[in-house]
Amino acid sequence: MTTLTINGRAVETTADDLTPLVVLLRDELRLTGTKLGCGEGRCGACTVLVDGTPTMSCLTPIGAIAGRDVRSVEGLADPDGPLTPVQEAMVACGAVQCGACTPGVVMTLTALVADGGEPSEDAIRRALTGNICRCTGYHKIIDAALVALAGEGV
Amino acid sequence: MPTIEYAATAEEASARLAELGDAEIIAGATWIMRAGLRREALRPTYVALSRIPGIADVTSNGVTTVGALATHSAIARLDAFPVLREAAALSAFPQVRNVATLGGNLKAVDFAAADLVPALLTCDATVSVVSAGTTRQVPVSDYVASRRTGPADEVVTGVTLRPAAGLVSTYERLTVRASGEYAVAAAAVSLVLGEDGTVREARIAAGSVEPEPRLLDAADALVGQRLTGDVIAGVGADAGAALEPRSAVDAPAWYRKAVFPTLVERALRRLVPAEGARA
Repeated sequence: MTTLTINGRAVETTADDLTPLVVLLRDELRLTGTKLGCGEGRCGACTVLVDGTPTMSCLTPIGAIAGRDVRSVEGLADPDGPLTPVQEAMVACGAVQCGACTPGVVMTLTALVADGGEPSEDAIRRALTGNICRCTGYHKIIDAALVALAGEGV
Repeated sequence: MPTIEYAATAEEASARLAELGDAEIIAGATWIMRAGLRREALRPTYVALSRIPGIADVTSNGVTTVGALATHSAIARLDAFPVLREAAALSAFPQVRNVATLGGNLKAVDFAAADLVPALLTCDATVSVVSAGTTRQVPVSDYVASRRTGPADEVVTGVTLRPAAGLVSTYERLTVRASGEYAVAAAAVSLVLGEDGTVREARIAAGSVEPEPRLLDAADALVGQRLTGDVIAGVGADAGAALEPRSAVDAPAWYRKAVFPTLVERALRRLVPAEGARA
């Protein structure tokens, strides 16, 4: 039995200790916002925050993060609530295309904003090196990140 | 199915490894979670160190100590030992650096492209190893040489790095993409320079070229020399010539060997003291 906090809610699971966090999120909890891409820590589609830190959930065994705080994309905004500044900026800047990378990108940028990252293209590109996007060419994602980091709203 | 249990102390973790037999330490888990991709079997039991107080700490107080569970991201914030800091910062991707640990890098014995290990070799780091109820301080080169055959209850708790006057260092790695990924080849270089720019001590390690990272004798030719273009080129060529490279899907053996001298040269050129500056 593993107990975790997921999006502010205590979750108990009998899944095996080495179950990847992404599998718990998607298959058991039906939180399918987090995407399984490569499954080997190279694409970033499965990025979630563990204690606020961007983490590849495909390589995170649930038994190794017992008691810790997980935040997935579903934990950012209520279904009918306002979007977060990062989400708002992604939409406004046209940074969402096919959507496969989007939840991971949003989680990485959410941590960058929370950490008070400098609003420079360089810093954003460095933060996003672990999030592969094959649609946008990154330009609009970086535009969105600049807007979110500037904190001026859209 | 494999289970994870938590140890309260390193001694307890070591004792559990001894009792369980077929068990291993688990830290950031990024290597273990890809065992299936490498067609390796999982162990029945993993022992987590994450609840051991201080095991993830990085401290600098004359000497620098890095705990076994310090992440690559934490090591990338070191204020000394640039070779180790750069190796950590350039490794993998941010979300992996945030969880992959020093201890995991040392323990993943089949990980030829480990970035921290060659850096630690050139820092002449000391590894703290708990086994059979005692803690030993082992030179990192000895640890790396013996880690495949060491006792099953060995638990690495951290490393110690000692500064020296005139110590300069850097890390150079070649990847297929600009960032992330495993290095095709990597050169770690640490030098102790005299006030006149003469090399007093030199260590060069190769990462990702051979199956194991290792120190290269070619560095010895630097001692007593200044870092002139000719000296740098000669050492680069000798360092490359000594290698017995490995082939893998990302690069053939000949290519790793062919690029290595250039990596050594780039690293050494970066360490040349500025004109008029004292090392």
